[in-house]
Amino acid sequence: MRRSIAVTLAVLLTIGSSSPLAYLKLGAMVNGRVIDATWRQVPIGYFISDRPGSGVSAADLRGAAERASATWSRVASANVRFTFQGMTSAAAEGFDGQTTLGFIDRPDLDRVLGATSFLIDTTTGAIVEADIFFNSHFAFSVAANGQPDRVDLESIVLHELGHLLGLGHSAIGETERNASGSRRVIGSGAVMFPIAHSSGAISERVLQADDIAGISDLYPAPAALDTGGIVGRVTKNGAGVTGAHVVAFNPETGILVGNFTLNSQGEFVIARLPPGPYILRVEPLDDADPDSFFPAATDTDFRVAYAPRMVVAPLGGSSPSIEIRVLPK
Amino acid sequence: MRFVAILLAVLGLPGIAHGQDAPTLPRHHFTVGGGVVWSGGYDIGDATARLRGNGPGATPPDVTLFTAGSRITSAISPELQVGFGATDRLAVEFGLAFTRPHVAVAIAGDPEAPSQELPGERLQQYVIGGGVTWQLPIRLGTRRLAPFVSGGAAFVRQLHEDRTMAETGQIYYAGGGARYWLRGGHGAGRAVGLRGDARVNFRRKGIDFEDKMRIYPTVSLSVFVGF
Repeated sequence: MRRSIAVTLAVLLTIGSSSPLAYLKLGAMVNGRVIDATWRQVPIGYFISDRPGSGVSAADLRGAAERASATWSRVASANVRFTFQGMTSAAAEGFDGQTTLGFIDRPDLDRVLGATSFLIDTTTGAIVEADIFFNSHFAFSVAANGQPDRVDLESIVLHELGHLLGLGHSAIGETERNASGSRRVIGSGAVMFPIAHSSGAISERVLQADDIAGISDLYPAPAALDTGGIVGRVTKNGAGVTGAHVVAFNPETGILVGNFTLNSQGEFVIARLPPGPYILRVEPLDDADPDSFFPAATDTDFRVAYAPRMVVAPLGGSSPSIEIRVLPK
Repeated sequence: MRFVAILLAVLGLPGIAHGQDAPTLPRHHFTVGGGVVWSGGYDIGDATARLRGNGPGATPPDVTLFTAGSRITSAISPELQVGFGATDRLAVEFGLAFTRPHVAVAIAGDPEAPSQELPGERLQQYVIGGGVTWQLPIRLGTRRLAPFVSGGAAFVRQLHEDRTMAETGQIYYAGGGARYWLRGGHGAGRAVGLRGDARVNFRRKGIDFEDKMRIYPTVSLSVFVGF
């Protein structure tokens, strides 16, 4: 029997503010090194819990899951496939050897639409099981064109399946605070942005460039080799900035792909970019709660800044490192 | 600039006098020239970084994160030319120029940052091309000055600053200018002179964010020697 130490992680999609642990990619500590947590067997089999949600049935969830899993599977530069294994009476929580998606009523989590939890083999970094629950406290919709005052279920499934595959949250998005103190999305550049669009919106059924770059980095298909990367440092007063969000924008194609400075040197890597020149924009993590991206403290005391020049992501390689200097607020 | 004034006079006042004594190119001989060329700047496209807006339906209005207007700056570069006189008025020419223009980027419309011009990256740009000049059968006051019209095409290769990616394109041009013979030009002795060109260039491909035909001027001044 395989010796493994199970760890669990949970990643939530919220409608306001939230907390837990996440990275752009989920990581597992193996032999002192952090490696990507990924599924090692394809296709990924999943069950649908037979418990109904608010306004939608388990069969509706199955349909939404099939559409959302097909959306991830259609990414040409990623090797991702799912297979539906059947309905189950089991709840979408706890670890029972099967990956389950289902509704659970959690009125205590009044800002959480859904969450994904994992069982990871810490000797290999392999995801061995994951469950996704959708909070029945909210009214969902599976209408083709969406419904006012109901959250589009397929959009939420698509986001949570991204977590199930090993993606953390993306920070490409802008929000504003409303009177209750929660955040409302103004616009987002990724399905994996941690705060959902408003009720009635169905645009989040479509992956964006940032999602595609992320999944292609985790499960690269041959087409993913026709990409390049950009590396660099973000500094403030000569010192590295931790947790800065760096967005690469290709003015020719219009795509936006982001990543973070992940160490105290302020170093970042943006991988799986279509080759070409990019404009780099750096911003503090102030459009969602920073702890929905990192467990550690991040530096948000700096102004938005741009790299002094465009940087090329070369085919099959990475750019020379570029330094982007930011100023305190 | 005196040279520009001469060129404008050439282009604007053709046919001042018909001359029988205007100097001509040495037929079936080569001419070698070298000088400097000034290339005017031109836009290479505006782009908007957009976020998917939060609204009902499948295609809500986008939200602008920022806009970027890009431009290749003007630059001065060395230029080499080799010509062959097919007749005493028609010459076939090949040219090579190396330039280091900047790609300047102007950022605007960012709600979280002021509008700003980024220093930009410096390109290495090579232009290799060929064309023809036709010396006009007119004389401009002095026997030593002869106007011509020109046209041709060139290949442009633009290497980004990190030298990890090159982009290529084509340039088509039309223009005119004048040669001023310091010596020779009438079949006796080696021809030596000054030459000025003004061209309108039509560039396709290369670094461009909208894939449009771009138009920009060049003005050059060179010394030529006939062999």
